[in-house]
Amino acid sequence: MEGKPEDDGGDLTRRGFLGGTGAALVVAGVPTLGGVGVEEEGVSTQLLEAVPQTAIRVTVNGTEHRVEVEDRWTLNEFLRDHIGLTGSKIGCNRGECGACTVLLDGEPVYSCSTLAVWADGREIVTVEGLERGGDVSPLQQAFMDHNAAQCGFCTPGQLMTATALLDRIPQPTTGEVREAMVGNLCRCSNYNAIVEAVLAAAATSGSGGAQ
Amino acid sequence: MSSPQTSQQVGPMDTVGHDVPRIDAYERVTGRATYTGDVRLPGMLYARVLRSPHPHARIRSIDTSRAEALPGVRAVVTHETHELIYSSGSIAGGRQYSDAAKDITRNVRYMFDNPVRFVGQPVAAVAAVNRHVAEEALQLIEIDYEELPFVIDPEEALEPGAPPIWPEGNLALDFRNEPRPSGGTSGDPEAGFAAADQVFEDRYTTAFVQDAQMEPRSALAQWEGDKVTIYTPTQGISNCRHDNARDLGLEDHQVQIICKYMGGGFGDKNGSYYFDLIAASLAKEADAPVLLELTRKDDWLGTHGRWHTVQDLKVGVAQDGTVTAIGLRAYSGMGPYLRRSGGISGIDAYACLNVERVIYPVHTNRMVSGNFRAPSDPQGYFAIQSMMDDIAYKVGMDPVDFALKNMRRPTEEVEFTNYFLEECIAQGRELFDWESRWRPEPGSDPGPIKRGAGMAFMMFRSGVGPSSAILRVNADERYTLFVGVTDIGPGAKTTMAMIAAEELGVPLSQVEVVWGDTDRCPYSVGESGSRTTTQTGYAVVQAALDLKGQIAEKGMPRGDDVLIASATPTPSTQGKRRMCFGAHFVEVEADVQLGHVRITKYVAVHESGRILNPLPARDQIRGAAIQGIGQALHEDLLYDPRNGHPLTAGYYGARHVTHMDVPEIEVTFIQTDDGFGPYGAKTVGEAGIILGPAAVANAIFNTIGVRMKDLPITRERILEALA
Amino acid sequence: MKAFTNQNARTLDEAVALAQQALRDGRSVSFVGGGTDLLQLMKDKVVNRPGSGDPDVLVNLKTVEGLDEVTSSGQVVTIGGLTTLEALVEHPVIRDRLTVLAEAAESVATPQIRHTGTLAGNVVQRPWCWYYRNGFPCYKAGGNRCFSIAGENQLHAIFGGGPSYIVHPSDLAPALVALDATFRVVGPEGERTLSGPDFFVLPSQDAEHENVLADDEVLASVALPAPGDGVRSAYHKIMDREAWTHALVSAAVVLDMDGDVCREARIVLGGVAPVPWRVPGAEALLAGQRVTPELAREVGAAAVAGARPLSKNAYKIPLTRGVVERTVLALATSA
Repeated sequence: MEGKPEDDGGDLTRRGFLGGTGAALVVAGVPTLGGVGVEEEGVSTQLLEAVPQTAIRVTVNGTEHRVEVEDRWTLNEFLRDHIGLTGSKIGCNRGECGACTVLLDGEPVYSCSTLAVWADGREIVTVEGLERGGDVSPLQQAFMDHNAAQCGFCTPGQLMTATALLDRIPQPTTGEVREAMVGNLCRCSNYNAIVEAVLAAAATSGSGGAQ
Repeated sequence: MSSPQTSQQVGPMDTVGHDVPRIDAYERVTGRATYTGDVRLPGMLYARVLRSPHPHARIRSIDTSRAEALPGVRAVVTHETHELIYSSGSIAGGRQYSDAAKDITRNVRYMFDNPVRFVGQPVAAVAAVNRHVAEEALQLIEIDYEELPFVIDPEEALEPGAPPIWPEGNLALDFRNEPRPSGGTSGDPEAGFAAADQVFEDRYTTAFVQDAQMEPRSALAQWEGDKVTIYTPTQGISNCRHDNARDLGLEDHQVQIICKYMGGGFGDKNGSYYFDLIAASLAKEADAPVLLELTRKDDWLGTHGRWHTVQDLKVGVAQDGTVTAIGLRAYSGMGPYLRRSGGISGIDAYACLNVERVIYPVHTNRMVSGNFRAPSDPQGYFAIQSMMDDIAYKVGMDPVDFALKNMRRPTEEVEFTNYFLEECIAQGRELFDWESRWRPEPGSDPGPIKRGAGMAFMMFRSGVGPSSAILRVNADERYTLFVGVTDIGPGAKTTMAMIAAEELGVPLSQVEVVWGDTDRCPYSVGESGSRTTTQTGYAVVQAALDLKGQIAEKGMPRGDDVLIASATPTPSTQGKRRMCFGAHFVEVEADVQLGHVRITKYVAVHESGRILNPLPARDQIRGAAIQGIGQALHEDLLYDPRNGHPLTAGYYGARHVTHMDVPEIEVTFIQTDDGFGPYGAKTVGEAGIILGPAAVANAIFNTIGVRMKDLPITRERILEALA
Repeated sequence: MKAFTNQNARTLDEAVALAQQALRDGRSVSFVGGGTDLLQLMKDKVVNRPGSGDPDVLVNLKTVEGLDEVTSSGQVVTIGGLTTLEALVEHPVIRDRLTVLAEAAESVATPQIRHTGTLAGNVVQRPWCWYYRNGFPCYKAGGNRCFSIAGENQLHAIFGGGPSYIVHPSDLAPALVALDATFRVVGPEGERTLSGPDFFVLPSQDAEHENVLADDEVLASVALPAPGDGVRSAYHKIMDREAWTHALVSAAVVLDMDGDVCREARIVLGGVAPVPWRVPGAEALLAGQRVTPELAREVGAAAVAGARPLSKNAYKIPLTRGVVERTVLALATSA
């Protein structure tokens, strides 16, 4: 190793736990949200900005929504907290687990890692939109039959990714299923059963049946 | 069912023993299954927790005035406002679920502690109209910390002069509040080592492994008068209620715990968690329902995972390959609170009785360790079975023959309810085709791509014990089963319904299950120790027997009448040891130039008594084996010892396995009925995880010819070992 | 996340103007393409642009017309910065003729991220050093130290480090440099076109940034010389799981072959240096030579000449050697 200046790495001046949420070193600043500011002791007397909002039009599971969203809402937040579709889960909120996967114009995306405002004019399908006329899709049926859900928390995401796969490749190989679904973790580690279910759905119908 | 029968191979019954999809599979595949974080109550607030950025620090002052003044903030709580003891947080001797143990615990953990003792420890919480305001408010809390010396490494923590985390020092207190290692001596180790022809010594280490269930923990609390309802992901609603009632200063009946669907529980959730207390405190302050959500990082660092270990092993072996003595001196890293025992298992799977064990559960300023699926086993089995595998080669024996020679068998002194370890090994050896996959000369393939094989074997407690069930039938012949289980993934709800249907002799479709709510369900031991099937399932059998008797006597109820039976049996094995058994055989392919390891075959043979529902049981073993592979090859929580900060929290940081990383796990059950439990059922859930690290490590040795002694066995470590 | 304003830009000029306006108003600003990484930094409150806080304004480039187009005209293939990684994987011209780029794109993360993430975003993503990502006040966050030097440096640089020892996180970057890409940057002063060596900067030149982009500049597109008929290329990425992490080591290799003789080679490494790391010494060994297993081994060895490992990353040397040797040999003998 080269002769580098030694740094013992201690004596941190960190922004705190999780980057910024520790407050030991937070300097006074103007809070940037919360509607109209009020004058209170110890708080900035500046008027607080309103939280920026934008009107968007999105189609979710076939239903059109014209709504005002806060610019900072993730797509997942919009779906879960504002139109009541809690099927899509938050496992990490940072694109490292896949539980929040939804279809955006038919393609799987992490709804935690994109903003609702960016979905303006686009079509979204969530796990709640997979049934047709009260019947589960062949893929959902295969998930039931093959025990593809253990705790079930990753299941909505797995279903959405697999739905997109079967729409694109109706008869995938095992390898294609694994590659397509690599972005959906399962801590129950029920990977074998999930892949078997996807292959079984392909064998029975050749289609996941979302679109 | 209570009189022991001769063990025998068994087949399917009317309902039990058939592949049955979960009775709630539809809810799980349609997004209808409601998890704690999905519950929405009118006027509900969102809460966030502020956590310590220091591994050890005293809080000189905490100023929440700016946070409280932020529009939208409804409550702020800190150690100054709420001095609540979190009684599941630190328990003398690591004992569970005992008021007595909690009462004497000297090293108490508070909901918010001062000093803080690890990065990620809660110091304050905010409830606000939405989660963004709550997050923003956290940043307005100003804390003056006095940083204290800290220690990250368990061995260093026991050295003289190490920074004391508790006044008594860093060796955790046992159940008498005395700082003593666990373990003890059996037989005559000294004589055993003296009788050995060869004595081997080696050090093995295992890393911290987060339970890392997919659902980040959350709690939703709502007060009505002096009664609080807490929705929370718990593996044990009964224990959770009792813990929370005690810590909130309430009677049990003043607390209702609801846990419907739960996004995984791999241990240590059979009780309360501090965030239940925080949510309840905030809800009281704000006079509104409060949903406290942990972020993934909050969850990773603020909960627990499998304790990491350093294990020095010493094994004496006679000329003929018989193990004559075993010594273990070990350190288990527990973090600053002794949540669980820090034990290390595995040696008991050997017949050798001359054993000396000294295990130090050590406090450090890392995050808290706790139970993860077979809490003391995978790390212990990795060390002892790597050691024994290594010795087999050194004394010129096939590791399977060495196992068969030295494994524990029933003796006159120690009887088993039944014993199938040898069958597991024999079947595994054959199914795997050990003779063709195992290399007598380790690392002998020409390379750079090499193959080889390894195995490991185990036995695991499968006790019987108390639990409760209530069964009701109405005039429509609809049966309602009330059990205090929470369905954390294995399918307990379905299994309980199957047992009721079997014993009642009715179709499964006539049985409905009420679960996961302390106001509606009887006591349950909770979903830990893999005992829901064996204990609560047995109570279901007893309740069904009672109900059948009532029906025989009185006839089916008419009109609005119902018949109700309840059972709280306390079965016993009359002194016999009740164990389940297993053997795993693994083949790996290693690219020695690029340090890459791929598992090419994985055979798991288990005896877990009668398998009540083979479909999910198979996936318990497959999933557990894959978790074991993750522990073997990937998972860790790296700390920078210079500043006490964790660097690899999260699924990305810990390199969790993906769809592309996992092999197909081939599962075989040897089904038996020893006359205990419901229809002879034994433990399944934890058994599958025990052998992955040992079997994979042994296969890697056979493949590359170098013994990997530290988990995880990463590419980096393989390249370093081969360099 | 803190409150911010999303502003949809319809043209690049408008995007730049929106950014300038925000800066003039004293508001921090960030351009955003797919946003997969930016949102994560914002949620974690990790410093994205040193010297400014979390963005008050996001200028959305997804709404810019034509920024996601791939055009092939004569001797040049031009790829818009907003082209998604998935589109790179699927595009027939890129698949067939610029294979190293398609393979690099396919090696990134997961299908979900490839459907969202963009070429420009992948190239300019911030480092994944665990100190930086955990909020340590390092050079990359505007601080004045590198915590990895005497710390946990398992994943850090063996080439080109100092004073920061991060490794460049992009998979596309080595592929683009191997293909001799030029980078078109649009800003208030108009546009400029930069070669790879001019676009990426070593920490010794600028410890805070990985490239020359200013706060009000956009990576609008890349241009690649259309490869000749004998050119074949490959990307080989080594990870510590099968997918969904950044490269421990990667090699982007482009060979111009005449039968079994290599006319010219370009080899660029990822995961080992703060910028895409070209290894001219290794390339030179191949020029005009028939590629044999022995030569490939020598090329591998030449690729790690001059490597200076830190205390915990020496394993990257044999790994890099092996990856280069294998990739060169496989590619040369693949026809």
